Amino acid sequence: MALETTMEQATARVPVTIISLDGELDASNFNELIETTRGLYEAGTRNLLLDLTNLRFMASSGLVALHSILRLIHGEAPPDPEAGWGALHSLGLDVSGGETQTEVQLCAPQPSVERVLTRTGLTRLFRIHPDRATALAAF
Amino acid sequence: MSGSADRSQPATPRLASRRLASRRLASRSLRVSADLGRLAEVRDLVRAAADDAGATEACTADMVQAVDEAATNAIIHGHAGRTGWVEVGATTLDDRFVVTIEDDAPAFDPTTVPDPDLSVHPAERRPGGMGVLLARLCVDEMTYRPRPGGGNILTLVRTFERNGKEDR
Repeated sequence: MALETTMEQATARVPVTIISLDGELDASNFNELIETTRGLYEAGTRNLLLDLTNLRFMASSGLVALHSILRLIHGEAPPDPEAGWGALHSLGLDVSGGETQTEVQLCAPQPSVERVLTRTGLTRLFRIHPDRATALAAF
Repeated sequence: MSGSADRSQPATPRLASRRLASRRLASRSLRVSADLGRLAEVRDLVRAAADDAGATEACTADMVQAVDEAATNAIIHGHAGRTGWVEVGATTLDDRFVVTIEDDAPAFDPTTVPDPDLSVHPAERRPGGMGVLLARLCVDEMTYRPRPGGGNILTLVRTFERNGKEDR
């Protein structure tokens, strides 16, 4: 199953771009999602919601995509996942205070996808909301 | 009919029940070229084997995750752009869901890969290297042996859970 992405614009307290993911995010297609996000950033997106309602599967390469998307939305180049990862402190993310950044947020993950995020600690980096409305209210 | 039933009557019902439970419930295999575009077929194979045996969502998803990560590593780090194949065999036996991932890539034992330090905030650790960790977290056993004649065989085992039983 391929991965299809659908983009929408929404207005919360700030303009939010929503990417809906439909299918499976794996090593064969995660770079496409990064490139999609790069295009959105260049077009002006600064707040992004990933709607995971129809994402059936996410591999560890999907986690690399999430890291890269976060950097892109902060105006940084995505990292080389194998060459080492500079601290995101340079992006102004204060990880010591327990506050999670709000520029990139996630909503409605299926149980298997949520387990991946939880098991790898990504829930400390991204806010995960039960549905789109709740997520938009959090921007 | 009744005579036949009498002959088939086990000496001890408990023993017969044990024999029935130890039956191999489902077995499927698939060989694909070492191409990331074939990973979806590998995942579908595992799902089909799990569905055959009535696995729970969590049991199925865990094994799909572990197999995908192992097959991805075999293609990216094992074959590393060279032509080759990956073969996946999935079997449920008793309370064990067993999947083997076999390839003809240079020898590499993923069970020796150290886990990333999850105590480090994700903003401060590198994003790669999570695949083997995820695979480990999804299964109960991960064992490696070299393939006779060249290549690798990785065996993943997870406790099999059927629908109607409590998820872990």
